[in-house]
Amino acid sequence: MSTFLQQLFNALALGGVYALVALGLTLVYGVMRVPNFAHGGLYMLGAYLSYAVLTGLGWGYVPALLISAVGVALLAAFMERVIFYPMRNAPHVHPMIAAIGVLFFLEAAVQLVWGPDFKQITEPVPGIVNVGGVIVTWQRLLVIAASVVVMLGLNYFLKRTLTGATIEAMSQNREGARLVGVNTNRVGMMTFAISGALAAAAATLIAPIISVSPSMGEVMNLKVFAIIILGGMGSVPGAIVGAFLLALAEVFGGYYISLDFSDVIGFAMLVIVLALKPQGLFKRGT
Amino acid sequence: MLEIRDLSVNYGHFTALHSLNLTVSPGEIVVMLGANGAGKSTLFRTLSGLQRPSGGTATWNGVSLTGGKPEFNVANGVAQCPEGRLLFPELSVEKNLRLGAFVHRKDAAGTARELERVYELFPALVEKRNVPAGSLSGGQQQMVAIARALMARPTLLLLDEPSLGLAPLVVEQVFEAVQRVNAAGVGVLLAEQNAFAALGIAHRGYVLEGGCVSLQGSQHELMTDDRVRSAYLGV
Repeated sequence: MSTFLQQLFNALALGGVYALVALGLTLVYGVMRVPNFAHGGLYMLGAYLSYAVLTGLGWGYVPALLISAVGVALLAAFMERVIFYPMRNAPHVHPMIAAIGVLFFLEAAVQLVWGPDFKQITEPVPGIVNVGGVIVTWQRLLVIAASVVVMLGLNYFLKRTLTGATIEAMSQNREGARLVGVNTNRVGMMTFAISGALAAAAATLIAPIISVSPSMGEVMNLKVFAIIILGGMGSVPGAIVGAFLLALAEVFGGYYISLDFSDVIGFAMLVIVLALKPQGLFKRGT
Repeated sequence: MLEIRDLSVNYGHFTALHSLNLTVSPGEIVVMLGANGAGKSTLFRTLSGLQRPSGGTATWNGVSLTGGKPEFNVANGVAQCPEGRLLFPELSVEKNLRLGAFVHRKDAAGTARELERVYELFPALVEKRNVPAGSLSGGQQQMVAIARALMARPTLLLLDEPSLGLAPLVVEQVFEAVQRVNAAGVGVLLAEQNAFAALGIAHRGYVLEGGCVSLQGSQHELMTDDRVRSAYLGV
């Protein structure tokens, strides 16, 4: 029982990180109708920016997380301006290829600056805690708590503020949004910035548990695309549910079947869900 | 005053509007009759800033509408209720309406007042305010679309095919609402297939054919014109 709970905590922490990364991707897809293949690159860059602030400047974990989130948000907004915006009327395959280019560019740039070897971010709160007989690291608890807080904040922004509502409005009816006077360029940039900040925050949260490397973005890319396809492209609840489903499948599959198969299990689940519900779990009305 | 002078719009090699001239005075209801493809929706898209013209001018109270910035046109008092409604289907009715007031987002009190006014105009929407707009009946969705346009507090309302696909009784309600809006001083440019109902509430009208004005006149002149009667009124 206690190993089960232990694995459950692991899955929740992993799912929280997946959810943050997938949420940004699904928001951008909803607004721009373009899958941003560079998203994993933003995630990876977020981890390195935090690493740089922590080791280069010697600042604390929280400032590192905030600086990294703001930095990647600005870069993502800039990317929308110089790459996706000029291609808004081009066939969809053009921005897709450009995004893959950005992914490789970011990877190569990071490798040039920090080298190809693994980096380690130390835990801000080291040690373990005993939660009713279950041993959990503080970092995992921090990941779970922080991802829940960020998701609640995002939910508040999308559901309770007019600026947040413009993101949903634009993803549901772009022309309708323009007719009421929403500046769709600004919403596009804002959505990219949010997706960048979420990815950077997620990367900084999980970095002490895994290690930081230039290729970490590609692995995450595969997983978050699986998640948003599973949940329904553009769906916010779909991204969250999909993230935790994938994390549960990976962690429990890895523990009870074989660690070697943990990635396989996640994608097997994707294949099964898509075979039964080709639109994903949360089909969108539009 | 809406002044459209020699307005031309091309889609590639296809000319959708050909040197169109049209005016709407403040407080007037002007109807545009015309078959599908006559250029009515193109004109509306242009007046809302979604489509750039290839020539000519369109101004509302002297301010140009052809700058290609829809948010500017809305802030300038020109709001459109488009054909097909273009609502935000998964958002609640009230959120659709609040987004209609997006250009007045700094004026919460004014938006609250306007919200009350549109609920007064369409009482059926009050009990649906928290329901996703996409789940409403066609008639109620049309009411939401008109109400959303009114939330921008327009001085000129562009109404594209508001009666399309609606039951006769609902059409009557919608047109009655348009008259009440107009009575409050809002100019209305109305594109309609339902010529009989539209001419019933209009002061003047134009007939569009192939992107040009083929006929114009007062309500009475159009109602009694033989060509209009046979082509659009079916008598």
